[in-house]
Amino acid sequence: MTTQRWKYCAGILALMLAFVIAGCKRETTSNVRPETGGAKKLTIGVSLMNLSSEFIVLINKAMEERAKELDVKLIANDAQRSADKQVQQIENFIAQKVDAIILNPCEVEASSPAVDKAIAAGIPVINVNSVTKSVPTAFAGSRDEESGKIAMEYIVKRLAGTGNVLIMQGYMGQAAQIKRDKGADEILAGNSGIKVLAHQTAEWDRAKAMSLMENWIQTFGAKINAVYAHNDEMAMGAVIALENAKLKDKIVVVGVDAIADALQAVKAGRLDATVFQDAAGQGRTAVELAVKVAKKEPFEKETFIPFQLVTKENITQFIK
Amino acid sequence: MPCPSETTKTAFLARILKQYGIVIALVLICIALSFFSPHFMTFGNLITVARQISLNGILAVGVTFVLLTGGVDLSLGSLVALTGVVAAGFAHPGDYPLFVPVIAGILAGLACGMVNGVVITQGKIAPFIVTLGMMTVARGLALVISGGKPVSNMSPAMTRLGGDLLGLPIPVLVLCGTAAVSWLFLKNVRLGRYIYAVGGNENAARAAGINVNAVKLFAYTICGAMAGLAGVILAARITTGQPNAGIAYELDAIAAVVIGGTSLSGGVGGVGGTLLGALLMGVINNGLDLLNVSSYYQQIVKGAIIVGAVLLDRKNAK
Repeated sequence: MTTQRWKYCAGILALMLAFVIAGCKRETTSNVRPETGGAKKLTIGVSLMNLSSEFIVLINKAMEERAKELDVKLIANDAQRSADKQVQQIENFIAQKVDAIILNPCEVEASSPAVDKAIAAGIPVINVNSVTKSVPTAFAGSRDEESGKIAMEYIVKRLAGTGNVLIMQGYMGQAAQIKRDKGADEILAGNSGIKVLAHQTAEWDRAKAMSLMENWIQTFGAKINAVYAHNDEMAMGAVIALENAKLKDKIVVVGVDAIADALQAVKAGRLDATVFQDAAGQGRTAVELAVKVAKKEPFEKETFIPFQLVTKENITQFIK
Repeated sequence: MPCPSETTKTAFLARILKQYGIVIALVLICIALSFFSPHFMTFGNLITVARQISLNGILAVGVTFVLLTGGVDLSLGSLVALTGVVAAGFAHPGDYPLFVPVIAGILAGLACGMVNGVVITQGKIAPFIVTLGMMTVARGLALVISGGKPVSNMSPAMTRLGGDLLGLPIPVLVLCGTAAVSWLFLKNVRLGRYIYAVGGNENAARAAGINVNAVKLFAYTICGAMAGLAGVILAARITTGQPNAGIAYELDAIAAVVIGGTSLSGGVGGVGGTLLGALLMGVINNGLDLLNVSSYYQQIVKGAIIVGAVLLDRKNAK
């Protein structure tokens, strides 16, 4: 390679590095704070399922805030949806001898070794948001079935007990998809007037949901009375497709999660309802539990943070 | 011994199949679908199919340039996310006129494509590795710029880009426009023909005095710019810039190009086939939803039909 070419490549690499460093800088400063006070500061290792998901970002933010208030140090790692990476991160925490671990599991089964290893090493584990097969020291989260129940109950109420529903599922096989289906099925079992026209996955994704809804409009058209989507991203995709087809006025759409975009849509009357899952509540509770366990204070083994239905009537409680 | 008229007949049939194998596969699938679902062959549904293939179509047309030179671009999906986030950032109501977010998105894609091209040609690194690196870098940049959250609150002018114009979806019109320009370019412009020459035989092209590096750089840059255009269209269609959008889009785009008869080793193929490939994939997607095939089986059927279609095409191309 000639020197000129080297300069080219080096320049581009430096540019990429600069971007990356600029991005990382903020995170490192928030994680590593100067040690203050005489007593040893507690250190909590956190392994998060996926920091590209808005909901997990909210949990992480709440944890950081609560950790600052309680004056403990958080080391947050992103497992990027890989259970394998998650187990490695927990191994690193064990080697670092952290005082407690907060685990936001990627998967029910595959993330279980992470819990087992930490418990075996004598480090308490607090699961947040999702469950693992192995039993952790404590759990903070919500019962996902409840969200499916609340959403379907709302649809039954709006349709006065009779009508046709479409169900947009999350990524098949994930705990949230299975439980959100289960909760809805419980309500459907008691309401024979509600018929499920079709259920199909849109993989939590807005663009995929939009395509699916467009195809459903072609097949079922005026027969559709309501759409239940396992998350708000998909619900928003359905809303946009229905609006484009000028059908939204006649069809009830409900999502789950209460992300910012969905709340704005509920306020504007575009989305009928969403189910609020309290990310901040889960994150804060997880940190509180970790601190209590590490200090050997009494604690609750399981803390369930309730879901809430959000409609136009109570939207002001949820928009800051 | 077959009589001569019969051999010419089979030769004629073989030639037809060779040229139109993919068209025949498409027609067969369409006939089957209209038989199974009364909703398939309606104007509304065909417009829906066109709208749904527009994004993959634009990406596929762009990556056709790269595949024709014998290269590959794996960064498309991440570029769609990055450029969508960039465009959405400039598209808040009352901030800038519409052309600013559109140009910003396209330029962001163009710049990334240019970086791909420069590193591949000047660094002499395999395109697979360089664009794989760009795939990760662009995804990271999208997450950094957006803070991990969707960039929403877009101006109505911007979201209208995802809607209709005179009864036709704007994304479809954009696809038709880019495909037409690309087709004319590859057919009639000297640089377009150089792309085929470089993909066909790089050394021969160099010996003939073609600046091979410049041609490659051009192909990656155009591919990036079209990914930017697709990112802008996607953001307009789903009314947000999503940092997680576009995962595995590059595979769909490359699949469409290859189904359409462009060789993965370069030099052979073109935009017309690419459009047919994208159409075939779109029809399968739409049809499986119309028939309400279970989510698990959809993936199996989709894969089998794609490989089957290419098999039909290649078998007869011999």
